[in-house]
Amino acid sequence: MKNLKKFMSLGLAAMMTVSAFGAFNVAAEEADYEECTIKFAWWGGDSRHEATQKAVNAFMEKYPGITVEVNFGAWSDWESARALEFQSGTAADVNQINLSWINEFDSNADVFADLNQYADIIDMSQWDQVNLDMMKDSAGGQAGIPVSMTGRIFYWDKTTFEEAGIEVPTSLAELREAGKVFQEKLGDDYYPLALGEFDRMILMSFYLQAKYGKAFISDKTLNFTEEELKDGLDFIMSLEEDHVIPSIVTIDGDAADSLDQNPKFINGQYAGILEWDSAPLKYVNALAEGRELVVGNEFTDFGDNGSTGVFTKVSLGFAISSTSAHPKESAMLIQYLCNDPEGAEILSSERGIPESKAAYAVLDEAGVLDPVIAEAHSKVMEASEYAEDPIFESNDLKGSEGTYTYVFGGLSYGEFDTEEGAAELYSGIVDACEG
Amino acid sequence: MKKWAKNNIGFFFIIPWLIGFLVFKLYPFGSSLVYSFTDYNLFKGIRETGLMNYLAVFEKRQYREALIITFKYAFMTVPLKLVAALFIAYILNFKLKGVNLFRTAYYIPSILGGSVAISVLWRALFKDDGLIQQMIRMLGGNPPSFMTDPNWALFIICLLRVWQFGSTMVIFLAALKGVPEDLYEAASIDGARKMKQFFSITVPLITPVIFYNLITQLVQAFQEFNGPFIITNGGPRGKTTLMSILIYNAAFQKYDMGLASAMAWVLFVILMIFTAISFWSQKHWVYYADEE
Repeated sequence: MKNLKKFMSLGLAAMMTVSAFGAFNVAAEEADYEECTIKFAWWGGDSRHEATQKAVNAFMEKYPGITVEVNFGAWSDWESARALEFQSGTAADVNQINLSWINEFDSNADVFADLNQYADIIDMSQWDQVNLDMMKDSAGGQAGIPVSMTGRIFYWDKTTFEEAGIEVPTSLAELREAGKVFQEKLGDDYYPLALGEFDRMILMSFYLQAKYGKAFISDKTLNFTEEELKDGLDFIMSLEEDHVIPSIVTIDGDAADSLDQNPKFINGQYAGILEWDSAPLKYVNALAEGRELVVGNEFTDFGDNGSTGVFTKVSLGFAISSTSAHPKESAMLIQYLCNDPEGAEILSSERGIPESKAAYAVLDEAGVLDPVIAEAHSKVMEASEYAEDPIFESNDLKGSEGTYTYVFGGLSYGEFDTEEGAAELYSGIVDACEG
Repeated sequence: MKKWAKNNIGFFFIIPWLIGFLVFKLYPFGSSLVYSFTDYNLFKGIRETGLMNYLAVFEKRQYREALIITFKYAFMTVPLKLVAALFIAYILNFKLKGVNLFRTAYYIPSILGGSVAISVLWRALFKDDGLIQQMIRMLGGNPPSFMTDPNWALFIICLLRVWQFGSTMVIFLAALKGVPEDLYEAASIDGARKMKQFFSITVPLITPVIFYNLITQLVQAFQEFNGPFIITNGGPRGKTTLMSILIYNAAFQKYDMGLASAMAWVLFVILMIFTAISFWSQKHWVYYADEE
C-alpha cells in the first residue's frame, strides 16, 4: 500500500511536469512565422551574456529563418542609451527591462507592446497573475513579463567572522554585537556590514515596515510621516555609531565603483552586504581566495512583532517594443527563453530564479539551480511581506543626485541631523510620488 | 550661366559640411533654446512652458553650487595650465641635448589625457591607501583623504587637466620659435638678463598665442566632463559637480531635456561673456606685429 501511494504520487508529479511542458510547447510550435531579423537587447555580466547568446543560437536553430541580432553590455549607462532608443523608436524588438522602465518610459502605454495580443504564443499561464499584474502599463496592457522576482538579503563573509571568533549574525542584536567585536578584535578598519546610500534606504525601509507594519510606498503614496522617517534615519545612523557599518565618507574614500570591486570587501574588511538574491555570484567570485560568502537570513527583531519588513520586486522582465516590425517572432523568442525546456535550461538562473513555473520545473529537475542563489531566493520569498512600489527606485530618488544619495550622504558627512534629513527625505519622496 | 556656376561652385563643394552643420549643430542649437523654456521630458513630453528652468538654475542650491564649482575649476585650471605649458615650452626652446625626447615625453599626457583609462588611473592613484597616500606616508607625512576632502577632490581633478598641457605647450613652442633671435641679441648687448628678456621680449611677442590658448582653454575648462565624472562622479557631496555633470544627469538620468537645455544655455552665455571680455581686453595687452 505504501509503495502504491509512493508510486501514485510520483506518477502524479511526473504528469504535472509533463502537462506543464506540453501546454507551452504546443503554443509556440504551432505558431507560423515569417523569415525575418529581430533584435534582442539585454544588460548583465559575462556569464549572462554567454548563456543568453547560447540560448539565442539554439533558438535560431530551432526556428530557421529567424535571425536574432544581439546587443548586450554592462549596466553602466545602459538605461540612458536604451531610453534614447525607446524615445526615438529605434529600440530592439525584444528588450530586457527593469520594472521601473514601464513607469518611466511607457507612461503613455505606447512604448511597449501589449503582450496579451501574443498570448497564443507566450504561455502566460506559467506566471502567477499577481506577478504579471506588476508589469502592466497605465492602460492595463501587459507591458512585460516578469523573468524573476527578487529581494534583498544579507550575505556574510564567513571567513572574517571566524577570524573575529563569532558566528555570522542572525539578528539585529547579534549584528550590533558583531560591530563591537570586529572593532576590538580585528581593528577599526573591519566592519560586519557595508552599506551604500541606496542599501541604507532599503535596510531603513525594512526596519520601518517591520516596526510600523505598513508598506513604505503604496499606490504612489508615501505611508510614513516625517517623525517615522526620522526614527528610521536614527536607526541607520546608530549602526554607523556602533561600528556596524562604515561611514559613506569611508566608502567614498575607497573610490571603488561598487562593493564587489572594493578591495576592502574582497579582502574581508567589509564582511557583509545587503544584496539582491539574484546577484550574489559577482560577490562570491570577487572574494579573495580562501574566503567564503554565505547567505544570511532576514532579521525578525526590527520591531516587537517578529516581522521582517522585507519587500520583493520584479527583478527584470522581457518586453517587445511597440515599434517592432516582427512582434510575433519576438514573442516566440520570449516564449523560448522563458518557457521552453531547452531555452530555460541554457539560461538557468542567469537572470535569477525564473518565475515561469515551467522553467523552474526544468531547472529543479535538472539540478542546475545555483545553490547560493536558490538558498537566497527561497529565504527572501519566504520572508517577503511587501511588494516594492516602482516609485521607490525612481531616478529622482535613487540617482546619483537623488534624494537618497543626498540624505544618507549628508547625514554621514555630518552636514545635517536626522530631523533635517527626515524633512528632506519626506519632501523628496512625496515629490517623486506626485511625479 | 557659366559665370554664375563658376562663382558659386564653392557652395556646391561645401554642401556635405553645410548639411552636417545645419542638421547636427544649428538645429539642435536652436531647438535646445526652445526646449529650455519648456519642461520637456523625453517620455512625458511638454506640459508647461515659461522661465521655470532658468529660475531653477539660479534659485536651487544644487545648481548655484555647481556654477560656483565650475568657476573655481576654470579659474584654477586655465592659469595653472597656461603657466605650466609656457614654462616647459620655454625650457624646451633652449638647444638642449635630447630635447626632442623631452618634447615627446611632455606631449604624451595630452594624448592619453582625455581618455577614460587615465581618469581611472588618476582615481586609483589618489584614493585612500592609493599610491600617492602611501608615498606621503613613506616620507613620514600624514596625507589627506584626496577623494573625500572637498578642496583636495577639486584640486586633483584640476591637476589632471593641468597635467595635459602638451598641446598648449606645442603651440607656445611654435610661437617661441617665431620670436626673432636678434631681439635677444640686442637685449643681451644692452645687459638685459634672461628674466628681463622673457618678460620684456618673449611674453609681449607671444601674447596673440597666449590669447588664443586662453580662449580655447577657457572653453574647454567650462565644458570639462570626463575627468570629474569618472574620478569623483561629482563627489564628495557634490563638491566637484561641474555644470556639465548636472547637464548630463538632467538629460540622461532624469530625461529632463528642458532643464538640461536651460543649463547648457546658461553655460553658453557665461562662456560668451568671458570670451567677449577677453576679446575686449586684448587691445590692452595683446600685441599684433602688423598693428601700428
